Amino acid sequence: MLQRAPIAPRGPRNSSPSVRSRGGIQKRNKAGGPVRVDRDGDLVMDAIAAGDKRRSGKGRLEGPTSSRGAGRGRGGPSRGANFGAVKTQQAIARGLETRQANILESRITTGSTTLQIDGLSSSKAASNPDGGVESLLAFLERKASGPNRNVKIKKSHKKGDSVFVTASSEDIAEIQKLDGFTFAGATLGIQARDSPSSASRPEKSGDKRKDEVSSNAMEIKERLKGVLAARYNSDLKLLNLSALAQDPGLREMGVFNGTTTTSKIFPALMVVCGGLFKTRQEKQDAIVSVTLADNDLADVGDVTALAQTFPDLQHLDLSRNRLAQMSNFDAWGAKFKHLSTLILTGNPIETQLATLKSDIMKKYPYLEILNGVQIRTPEEVAVALETAKSPILIAGPDFRDVGQVGENFIRQFVVLYDTDRSALLANFYDAQSVHSLSVNQNAARGHKNSGPIAPWAPYIKQSRNLVKINNLPTQMTRLHRGSQAIERVWSTLPATRHPDIQTLGDKYLIECHALPGLADPTGQSVRGVDGLIITMHGEFEEQSESPGKPIRVVSDMLSLRAWGPLALPKLPLNPQANTTIINTEQQKQEAMAMQLVERTGMTPQYSALCLTETGWDLEKAFMAFTANKDKLPADAFITNAAR
Amino acid sequence: MTDVSENTEVKVAVEAADIFVNSYYKTWNKENGGKELAQFYVKVNPESPLKPDITINGNIVEDPTDLDGLHRSQPSKTHYEVEAFDCQVVNTNFTVGAPEALLEGNAAGKKMSILVMVSGSVKYPETFWINTDCYLDSSAEETRGFVDNVLLVPNWDITKKNEKEKKKWLVQSQTFRLVL
Repeated sequence: MLQRAPIAPRGPRNSSPSVRSRGGIQKRNKAGGPVRVDRDGDLVMDAIAAGDKRRSGKGRLEGPTSSRGAGRGRGGPSRGANFGAVKTQQAIARGLETRQANILESRITTGSTTLQIDGLSSSKAASNPDGGVESLLAFLERKASGPNRNVKIKKSHKKGDSVFVTASSEDIAEIQKLDGFTFAGATLGIQARDSPSSASRPEKSGDKRKDEVSSNAMEIKERLKGVLAARYNSDLKLLNLSALAQDPGLREMGVFNGTTTTSKIFPALMVVCGGLFKTRQEKQDAIVSVTLADNDLADVGDVTALAQTFPDLQHLDLSRNRLAQMSNFDAWGAKFKHLSTLILTGNPIETQLATLKSDIMKKYPYLEILNGVQIRTPEEVAVALETAKSPILIAGPDFRDVGQVGENFIRQFVVLYDTDRSALLANFYDAQSVHSLSVNQNAARGHKNSGPIAPWAPYIKQSRNLVKINNLPTQMTRLHRGSQAIERVWSTLPATRHPDIQTLGDKYLIECHALPGLADPTGQSVRGVDGLIITMHGEFEEQSESPGKPIRVVSDMLSLRAWGPLALPKLPLNPQANTTIINTEQQKQEAMAMQLVERTGMTPQYSALCLTETGWDLEKAFMAFTANKDKLPADAFITNAAR
Repeated sequence: MTDVSENTEVKVAVEAADIFVNSYYKTWNKENGGKELAQFYVKVNPESPLKPDITINGNIVEDPTDLDGLHRSQPSKTHYEVEAFDCQVVNTNFTVGAPEALLEGNAAGKKMSILVMVSGSVKYPETFWINTDCYLDSSAEETRGFVDNVLLVPNWDITKKNEKEKKKWLVQSQTFRLVL
């Protein structure tokens, strides 16, 4: 459906196209097989659980595939009692839309597993240029696939005589069945290398030294996944990275032994975490908040990787670290552009926040809440976002009417053009009125608006697009002077139906201001008289005579429309007295009303009313507005002011 | 009063509009064009009744020199393209701000006020969208449409001093808006 400008409305901040990719995730969950993990694992969560959690996850993996794959099970958030302790986390995620599949969790716990395959080196394929790896993989995939299952090896690498392959847990189970199969004259030995749990570790250390490195790396990765899973809260879309040095899972891994600090393990955690998501959008949807509280950070340099992994983060808690000055944030550069909440409680920098506020606001252009204090209103953020979208801020219509002349004209114009063009001409046009229209056939439009373009034929015949019409005779014949000539043209144009300007005001964008130096029809004023220039962007439907759907057109492409009426010099002169004699007091009041409109979002009428009641004192009027704004009816405000 | 023939009226107006649309948006496209933008407009002069009235996306721009700031706020390599324009003469004898000696009409059409309506597109460089993350995956969104309504009036300075370099027509009123 063609709509006018897809300029985002001012209100919703998260109007980013998250819907689609969420659908994508859901689909993957359904089709891709990984079993949704029970919430319990998720909720135990606090730091104890890394190892346990993984084991329980693994147990499930081998069970039959759950059919509740796509279920959005929101069961039992109340059981998250353990979370009560972590107040900040909830605080920073408060107000978020939490209805979201626990993507991270399912990804982490149902992640791929690994098999070690021996025997390739003694096969005939070993003489292949790649040592036979490729044909081995093809063999495994072919043999393991059944009529209903297409086994896919995700990753593989050759280490010494062994080949390690990674695949989904179900696929791994199938591949494992090939243990003892003959491949190119050699018997394959296939053994699980998955989930290097603590139980399997000692055994491994006594094993082949050769594989130590890779399986170690693999093991670390698995353990980090476990740590991350334990620290993720899908309800709050929060990744809790607080007090990492105290994390039992990490301690068990020995990463904090000796001098090792957060700075060592953090990049690894981030790499593992980032690897869990296929797209940035998935990541953005799954993790909205991160807490890095209690990490003894003196500089975010130790956690630089956070910015690379979560550039779209909205809420960040840095409580109880040792951050002391703005330069401690330099490592993040201009990242975290979308940050909406920042918590710095319990840092030395906290005492200087009053003076640093403007620096922080500059650094984080959409930051709304700093340490629990609102520093920007959602409206201001909306404006900032709008600015980012189009570098020149898109403000509401600049409608500087004079004595409602413009407004009254537009109301009549739109209706009469649809219903009675002769009356329109008779009322507002005269022998000197000029009309022309031009069609921009190349007009850009968002690719969202991919509906059919209306046939331009009746308009093209009259189009005076001077980019194309370069010869003077045509330029002259397509300029229509006088109501009779205009009526002839209009009679060739399809009947139209415009949205009701009273009820569907947001379909229009109308601007106007005074224009000096129009010819005085009475000839009295040598210097001319004032008029109004009115610019109207709208849309209309054609009432097609042949059966068929009415066609909806993007008005903006129709710059053809209403050229004359918008521009007509004669129009404003009809109510001559009104426009030519403008009393300065009235002008002042209108300017004041406009200021109030800008500050309050009220309609000009309500603004004027408010000002009248407060004796045309802008400040008083604004105070009155503030005191009463909740009581005002909806129609007191300009709808969709962002347009 | 000397009348302007319709032929002259259309010819002069189209020429003026053509020169304007072909130079004005190029200036917006120029890397450091912001400072040059003001020369397209009538000057802000408290003594003259002729004042520029500029609205860009609903924002009132008090002084044409402020356009430099708007120009800078755009990413570099922003590109404006005129796709269609049309023009009409509003007044064949525009006299606001004219010197006393020039109140009479001019048959050559030099004193007209001309309304120009432009429809075109603005293309923001792709990097801009990546940096702002407004549209993560829709590069096509970078092109937007605009409509610009401009009133050209005679540049009285040129008639006064007959300087060749100066523009014949200046913008008195402008209503610009991104519409897509």
